[in-house]
Amino acid sequence: MPEQPAGVAAMPGREAMHSPSLWRDAGLRLARNRLAMIGLIVLAFMVVLALLTPWIAPYSYEAQDLELGPVAPAPAHWLGTDIFGRDLLTRILYGSRVSLAVGFLATAVALTIGVLWGACAGYIGGGADAVMMRIVDILYALPFTIFIILLMVVFGQNILLLFFAIGAVEWLTMARIVRGQVLSVRHQEYIEAAVTMGLSRWQIIRRHVIPNVLGPVIVYTTLTIPNVILLESFLSFLGLGVQPPASSWGVLIAYGVETMEEYPWLLFFPAATLSLALFSLNFLGDGLRDALDPRASKD
Amino acid sequence: MFEFVLKRVLQAIPVLWIVITVAFLFVHAAPGGPFSQERAVPPEVLKALNERYKLDQPLLIQYSDYLRNLARGDLGPSFKYPGRTVSEIILAGMPVTFELGFYALLVALAVGIGAGILAATRPNTMRDYLPMSLAMVGICLPTYVLGPLLVLFFGIRLEWLPVSGWGYLPGDKILPSMTLGLAYAAYVARLCRGGMLEILSQDFIRTARAKGLPETTVIYKHALRGGLQPVVSFLGPALAGLLGGSFVIETLFQIPGLGRYYVQAAFNRDYTLVLGTTIFFSTLILVFNLLADIATVWLNPRLRQEDGARA
Repeated sequence: MPEQPAGVAAMPGREAMHSPSLWRDAGLRLARNRLAMIGLIVLAFMVVLALLTPWIAPYSYEAQDLELGPVAPAPAHWLGTDIFGRDLLTRILYGSRVSLAVGFLATAVALTIGVLWGACAGYIGGGADAVMMRIVDILYALPFTIFIILLMVVFGQNILLLFFAIGAVEWLTMARIVRGQVLSVRHQEYIEAAVTMGLSRWQIIRRHVIPNVLGPVIVYTTLTIPNVILLESFLSFLGLGVQPPASSWGVLIAYGVETMEEYPWLLFFPAATLSLALFSLNFLGDGLRDALDPRASKD
Repeated sequence: MFEFVLKRVLQAIPVLWIVITVAFLFVHAAPGGPFSQERAVPPEVLKALNERYKLDQPLLIQYSDYLRNLARGDLGPSFKYPGRTVSEIILAGMPVTFELGFYALLVALAVGIGAGILAATRPNTMRDYLPMSLAMVGICLPTYVLGPLLVLFFGIRLEWLPVSGWGYLPGDKILPSMTLGLAYAAYVARLCRGGMLEILSQDFIRTARAKGLPETTVIYKHALRGGLQPVVSFLGPALAGLLGGSFVIETLFQIPGLGRYYVQAAFNRDYTLVLGTTIFFSTLILVFNLLADIATVWLNPRLRQEDGARA
C-alpha cells in the first residue's frame, strides 16, 4: 500500500476503516479528554441503571404508602418519597428509562432521515440537491416546538408519536451537515482516482464517503441527544408530553416544582439527574468533536 | 439589499401559508370535536353548537372561511372562553409576553455578550474558563429547573423578590426575566466568544493593533461588529426559543401572558384558540427569522453578493 499523505483523513481501501491512524487516533484523543471520559462513564452508568431498573428498583413503581406520605431522604428511602409515599429513587429510575429512550430513539429517527436525505442530496447533486435543500430550508423556518405541542394536543399524548415528532424536527441540521460533508468529499482527487479505477458508485460511497461523513455525524448525534431530552422534558413539564402514571424527568420536575417549598428534595433530585445527563452528553459531544474533527474544535 | 429583502419576504409567504394550512388540517383531523367532553352533551345541543360554529360544513368551506376571516384579523370565537374571540385573547396576552421576552432578551444579550468578550479577549485563562463553565451550566439547566431554583433561593429563602405575578408587586418582573434570559445568555456567550476569537485572529485586527490603536478601540470598534455576527444570526432562533420558554416561565410564575393561554388552551383542547395562537406564534417566528437574516446580511456586505450569485 502506498504511503498516505498526511492530513488525508480517509484512505482508500477497506483497511481504511480499521486502519490505526484515524479511529485509533481519535480514540486516544478522546481518552485523554478527562471531562469527556467522565461524561461517558456517567452516561454508561445511567443507561445500565435504566436498563436494569425493573430488577434493581428498591420499590414497586406504583406502590403508594399514603400513611407514610412525603419523607425526606432516609436509609429506607434514599431519595425520600413523594406526597403519595412513593419512593423517589424508584420513580427517577423509571423516569430515566422514558427520558433516555426518547433521547436515543428520537435521535435515531433524526439520524436516519437526516443522513439519508443529506447523503442523497449531496451525492446526486444538481436539481435534486437544490430541491431537497430548499425543502430543508422551508422546514427550518417552521416553528417546530409549537407544532409538536399542536400534535400532542390533537393526537393525544402518545409516546411513540413523541419519538417521531421530535425525530422529525431534529433531522434538518443533520441533513445539512451530511450534505456539506458529502459535497466536500465528492470533489476530492482521490474520488476521481477511484472513478478512474472503475470502482462502482456504491463502492465509492462505502469506502470513501461514509467513513468521511461518519465523524461529524457521530459528533452531531451526541449533541442532538441532550436537545431531544430537553425537548421531551420541556413538553412533559408543561403536562403535554409523557402522561402519568408513566414518568419522565420532566414529569418528576413538574411534580417537584409544585411542592418545592415543603419538600425540596422532590425537585432537587430529578433536576440534578436531568442536569447530570445533559452535562455528560454535552461534554462527551464536545470531546468527540475535538477528537474526530480537529479542525472544527475550539481555536 | 432591497432586492434581497423583497426576495426573503416573498419566500416567507408560502411558508406562512403552509403553516396555516397544516395547522388547520391538524386541528380538524383531531379525533373528537371541540365539544366532546367527559360529560356527554345532548345530541340536540351538539348539533346546535356545530351549526353555530359552522362545524357541519364541508372542510373546504370551513378552510376558505377561516382564511377569509384570518385576512381580516378575525381568528374566530374561543370554544372554551364563551363570549371572547381568539383575537381578543391574543391581544390581551401579547403585551405581557412581549415585555417578558424583551427583558429576557436584554438579560441574554447583556450577560452573554459581556461574558463572551471577557472570555475571547483572554482565551485559555481563568477569565475564559470561568464564564464558559458557567455558560455550560446555563445550557444544562433548563428554564424549568433554573426558575424553581431561583424562586426557592431568592423568593422563598431570602425573601428578596416576589415569586409570582407580573406587575402586581414591585420587582416581580425580575425573576421571570432573569430565568428566561439567563438560559439564552449561555448560548450568546458561547457564540460571541467563538465569533470574537475568529475575528481577533484576522489580519485587519493585527493592522489596527500595529497602528497603535488602544485595545478597547480594537475590540469595540473593529472586532465587535464582525464578532457579533453569529449572535445576530442566532437572534431569530433565540426569539423563537424565548417564545417557547415563555410557555414555561408564564406557567411557573403565573403570568397572564400568551404562553400561559396557549398551554391552557392545549390542555382544554380549545381548538380555535390553539389554532389561532399557533398561527400567531408562527408568524412571529417567521418575522423574527426574516429580520435576523436581513440583519446578518446588513452586517456582512460580502453575503449580499453571495446571495445575489445564488439567486
